Amino acid sequence: MTYLALGLSGPHLIELAGEPGLLARWDALPAAFTVLGIDRIDGSGPAPLTLDSSAVGASLAARTTRARFLIVASPQRDHPYNLARRVASLGHLSRGRSGVLFGVADAYAAPGPDDAGAWGGAGLGGGAPLTAATALDAARAVRALEQSWPYDSIIGDRETGILVRSDRIAHIDHDGVYSIAGPLNAPEPATGASLIAWYATGPHDVAADSSPVDLIVGAGGAVRVVPLGQRAPEDADGVLLRPAVDQSLTEVLTAVEDLLADGFTAVPPGVPLRASLGLTTPARPAGLRSAFPVPAPNPSL
Amino acid sequence: MTERRTGHLILGINVLVLGYLPAAWQSPLLKKDSVVDPSYWEGIGRTAERGTLDAIFLADGPALGDPAYDANPIKLEPTVNWGYVAGATSHVGLVSTASTTFNDPFELAERLLSWDALSGGRAGWNIVTTRGAVSARNFGLADVPLRDNRYERASEFVDVVTALWDSAATGRDIHHRGEFFDVDGRLRVPPSAQGRPVLLQAGGSPKGRALAGRVAEGVFAAELTKEKAIEHYRLVKRLARDNGRSPDDVKILPGLLLSLGSTEEEARRRSDELHDAGPASYSIQWLSQSIGYDTSKLELDEPFPEEVLAAPTDPQTFQGSMGFRESIVTQIRRTKPTVREYLKQTRYTGSGHAGFVGTPEQLADHIEDWFHSGAIDGFNLQPDVLADGLEVIADELVPILRRRNLYRHEYETATLRAHLQAASPTPGID
Repeated sequence: MTYLALGLSGPHLIELAGEPGLLARWDALPAAFTVLGIDRIDGSGPAPLTLDSSAVGASLAARTTRARFLIVASPQRDHPYNLARRVASLGHLSRGRSGVLFGVADAYAAPGPDDAGAWGGAGLGGGAPLTAATALDAARAVRALEQSWPYDSIIGDRETGILVRSDRIAHIDHDGVYSIAGPLNAPEPATGASLIAWYATGPHDVAADSSPVDLIVGAGGAVRVVPLGQRAPEDADGVLLRPAVDQSLTEVLTAVEDLLADGFTAVPPGVPLRASLGLTTPARPAGLRSAFPVPAPNPSL
Repeated sequence: MTERRTGHLILGINVLVLGYLPAAWQSPLLKKDSVVDPSYWEGIGRTAERGTLDAIFLADGPALGDPAYDANPIKLEPTVNWGYVAGATSHVGLVSTASTTFNDPFELAERLLSWDALSGGRAGWNIVTTRGAVSARNFGLADVPLRDNRYERASEFVDVVTALWDSAATGRDIHHRGEFFDVDGRLRVPPSAQGRPVLLQAGGSPKGRALAGRVAEGVFAAELTKEKAIEHYRLVKRLARDNGRSPDDVKILPGLLLSLGSTEEEARRRSDELHDAGPASYSIQWLSQSIGYDTSKLELDEPFPEEVLAAPTDPQTFQGSMGFRESIVTQIRRTKPTVREYLKQTRYTGSGHAGFVGTPEQLADHIEDWFHSGAIDGFNLQPDVLADGLEVIADELVPILRRRNLYRHEYETATLRAHLQAASPTPGID
């Protein structure tokens, strides 16, 4: 049995965020997840209009209660520390309904310097080539940062005055394409580290060590991308429907509702993203150095 | 000053996560994980809106301090956090702090304008340059750039961001060539209900104030005394005028740390108990960082030596805020306390922001006095504990200010920029 997912383009995001009736229909869909702005990273963009993916995610987290979504990310103008903060924050505020889909280039972003197309435009003297290896390293850093602070280290013990067992927070000392000390300044979501998906553009696209990637969307992945209206393959775990930019969101939602009523596996709305796909929480790496000393009970003045 | 101003003042809340005091998390109104609980943040937005407040602010920095005893170092990312609260509210303005040192101007411009559009034109950007090597090490750098360099970068960063916001309206690419950035492109984000986000600036260094005079529509100031506040108010308003702007285009909003009670004694008891429940070493650490000198090396029962007050060891590498430092030193010179006395005083007067402990009625008197003295356009209030402190502001302070014709009864404007512009005009500044 195959589940359905949906990949929306820039103009669809504006319709979705702007029309409460469409938002309610979207929220009720028994689809696995929706990618917020897939045209940013799938090579098809840019469309005339879009919105930043994490900004849309934040708004949808507040205005819906059931639908799951992936924000899209590229290392072109973003840094993994900043991105990890938004991913973790969305994980908390959506109550585990969110994740992130990585691609390489961002079709809506101005190009960076030729030799440092990833983060080189930030003018800090750094940056890296804009390649799949860079994007994958960004994904690794995001996962490590989200896991740097275990949620259950928040104890809130009024007797000792200790809010957080902060010795359990770890530096990540990430030393790959990016150099990042960590830890993240927010705890991991209660539902565990956010789902990381990868957008594959060809069969040889995914680097050998893809450890942080929970789900591959596109060529060779568990989730196949199918233009809306075309017949879906039957041997995939999931099918991501990709409407054309000029199909209205009303048209798109009607088509998805029809397909979901006709043979695809319904994924119950409201279940956190990772659980809804039957994916386990990734293990936490061992042997990292503590970011802070063991907190002593706090003596009063 | 006897001049009576017309119109109403501006009220913002600086939401220091759970409250400005480290022990805020121990409030019985909170759960251990309130800091990341969506219902906590919705409650903040809705209570602020019940009080028809102009804006809620969120401080930020891309690094973690030890959260063992204090929720303040825990930071959800502000554009996501306030983007979420925007979805749960309809009128209150929302100001996110974001660093010009550790962001890319294209990415930040697109994200801020998107959030502004999604919030119906209620977004503001508090421009900061970020201090501290701990942040730098999260971005592959050994340390932050020197202060002058950070502000030069900030100035160019803001120019790129605003040019990109303009490009969203005109549909034309920008071609920026500068010292720090080269950008060719445009945003494809629809303009917001207020056109683009409001710009705010925090910090009192000369370069910070120069940036404020040139571009900021609001300044989140740090003032301990009314006299200094009046001086700085006029200084920034004149800087705006020197840049061809109206003094009304930049609103001055100092922070004010609050502990409120139904009697003055109750307020002091509340403040004492919250301070006693927090880490004792905080005030020494805080003062050391704020003035650029290790305070633990000073004799507790002696006055501050002049060389400590005169200047930080090296202004270029000093990690604190120049504005906070100036306001602290001014107060120490005025009252000549011993180190111990000053550390005790700061239990009530807090950080570089002024503190207030008393009743809502007394707070209204204080706000009215500073407003009519030409020291402020409004305050950015910082409750000790948000969970009940914000309710007292919305349900007790605001009605008093309304009765005195100092505050509006209902929202009369829809966007953050319109909220700010609807406030009282600037009194004479010459």
